[in-house]
Amino acid sequence: MDPAVRFEGVSKRFRRGELHDSLRALIAGGLRRLAGGGARRPRREAFWALSDVSFSAARGEALGIIGPNGAGKSTALKLLAGILRPDGGTIAIQGRLAALIEVGAGMHGDLTGLENIYLSGAVVGMSRREIREKLADIVAFSGLEKFLDTPVKRYSTGMQARLGFSTAAFVNPDILLVDEVLSVGDAVFRHRCEQRMSELVRGGTTLIFVTHNLEQMRKVCDRALVLDKGTCSYLGKPAEAVAHYLRATMHAEGGVGYADQPADGSAAAEVLDLTYAAADGDAAELDCTRADEPVVVHVTVRVHQRVTRLAVQVALRHMGGELFISMNSQQRDVLYDLAPGVHRIPLRLPALPLASGSYFAQVRLWDAEHCRLVCETPYRYPLQVEDGGQGTGMLALPHHWGNAIAVDGGASAPVDRPTQLVGSAD
Amino acid sequence: MSILGSIEQTRGGGALAELIRYRQLLGCLVWRDIRVRYKQSLLGMAWAVLLPMAMMFIFTFVFTRAVNVVGGLDLPMPYPIFAYIGLVPWAFFASSLNQAVGSIVKNQNLVTKVYFPREVFPLASVGSALADFLIAAVVLVGLIAYYHVATDWTFRASAALLFLPVILLFQVLLTCGLAMLLAMANLFYRDVRQMLGALVQLWMFLTCVVYPIRNDGTWIGTLAMCNPMTPIIQAYRDCIIAGTVPQSVAFWLACGVAVAVCLFGWWSFRRAAHTFAEYI
Repeated sequence: MDPAVRFEGVSKRFRRGELHDSLRALIAGGLRRLAGGGARRPRREAFWALSDVSFSAARGEALGIIGPNGAGKSTALKLLAGILRPDGGTIAIQGRLAALIEVGAGMHGDLTGLENIYLSGAVVGMSRREIREKLADIVAFSGLEKFLDTPVKRYSTGMQARLGFSTAAFVNPDILLVDEVLSVGDAVFRHRCEQRMSELVRGGTTLIFVTHNLEQMRKVCDRALVLDKGTCSYLGKPAEAVAHYLRATMHAEGGVGYADQPADGSAAAEVLDLTYAAADGDAAELDCTRADEPVVVHVTVRVHQRVTRLAVQVALRHMGGELFISMNSQQRDVLYDLAPGVHRIPLRLPALPLASGSYFAQVRLWDAEHCRLVCETPYRYPLQVEDGGQGTGMLALPHHWGNAIAVDGGASAPVDRPTQLVGSAD
Repeated sequence: MSILGSIEQTRGGGALAELIRYRQLLGCLVWRDIRVRYKQSLLGMAWAVLLPMAMMFIFTFVFTRAVNVVGGLDLPMPYPIFAYIGLVPWAFFASSLNQAVGSIVKNQNLVTKVYFPREVFPLASVGSALADFLIAAVVLVGLIAYYHVATDWTFRASAALLFLPVILLFQVLLTCGLAMLLAMANLFYRDVRQMLGALVQLWMFLTCVVYPIRNDGTWIGTLAMCNPMTPIIQAYRDCIIAGTVPQSVAFWLACGVAVAVCLFGWWSFRRAAHTFAEYI
């Protein structure tokens, strides 16, 4: 069967600068050209917002699109929605498409919430009767019962997002495009949206989800596309896509947070790199690990002048900002005595029992003798952790549930452990 | 890149089929325009009647009291009725264009964020003006009844009245074509909107809205007859008052022009529609 969405070698070009001239400039330019004098105005530089991007999404698949600002994510969505026309390539869409490209898009401030529901429904091509049938669901989902007869211009941004998402999510589209609109909703509503999106996907809707919320993307999507400067730099599993994206971003932006690693080499030692591997030795580098598997963190340092009593500290932060663990070799009575040259220091962890997510590491080198910071990197070394369904929250601890035991004297039939349910939560 | 980009959609169908599929949206936008226009206004829909009535009183005062021009014209009906039959269709025409010209730019947040046939914006402007027209037209019945009873002028209804919807249809086609052209032009050059106000005003005086125009061979007369709105408004008066179905070549020529303008407007609009989101 044909995929619901097919994007084949699609390119889109924009021109930099002001797009149109005034009529006056047009007339003046035309006269000048007629008179034969003067050069034509210089052609504006073209800029490819997307170049040769291909992907497809099957029915009932959720595809995430991530990438830095200006990577072409919204352009891709607008092309899918038919708002823009590609300059090259083919786009094929099968079925009814609903797009949530921006908060409040398609709404009219002077109309009430209820009237806007009808308007947004009509925009995606629904009849009044269809909308009337869905109205109760839409209103209940949005939680805006009390504000339905209030003009939307008096709504908060969050309320507008609620109304927009609720309408789009209940028109039962075959294809749903969602751009960064859920970020303005509160946590409860965001969670409901995730659930509703998963529900739609299970029901056969194809979801294309553009977001900067990588955790949300990982939860909702089956596959992910990483766009960078208008080209597809990765297409595959969400966790790996996130890893790829973060590594590229960290490389380009120099990491999260400030650091005072002296760049002039005046320090006695500097951190060259931090990598993850499954084992010591020459094991391949990891971007992504399972929570219950061992990890070796390799810190590569360059020593300029001989250092004695060097302490190494590695800290791990969640992408959301929380510090999860900070490990200092001095606390384990390990201090390094290193000759000039490049050294690799391994830090072995039997497991990294953390919830699924993106984590970043930072390295600090201390002069334990004088209690002085030698060098510090930003949080720039990303690692993806997959907990394999050990629960939700911050940690992924191995755990087991026992049989129920009757405590009031009654009989308690031994229950077969319902193994098929364990770990299916979330 | 030599290959032209294309979007295949399984929906298929031509421009008209697409427009029919989105008729609910068109209805919704017409309703929205009407609601928004009369929201937060005390008199609401009464304005649809009050404005042409006010114009009628103004022109009646100017042309019969201030300077008596119509006295010598030998009109087959009281001047207020003459003026009202001219002013109501003209108000429909003028307000359609005045609303349509900015309709796409005003709905930027829809144009750049959602897909649907963009024609719905200018067409919805015509639709909401049509609603005003129909309301104002009802008042004409009262006006005719008043002059029939209160003065020695008598009104005779005839079968020609049934021809009115045909005239209206051609007027709507002409208006829709111009509305699409103007809305599109204004998107690329905002100057269009500024110019339109004066242009429509001038156009009104080249049309037999508040005074009759005869094709007297002068260049002004010829210009007025080339303007398709003149035969159309004349046809309204002929149908209602004289009870004759328009037979002049000028009328059918105007109808042909209306159809041509509509098709050309629609065709060029659709050709450019996919660039709107970029150029807006």
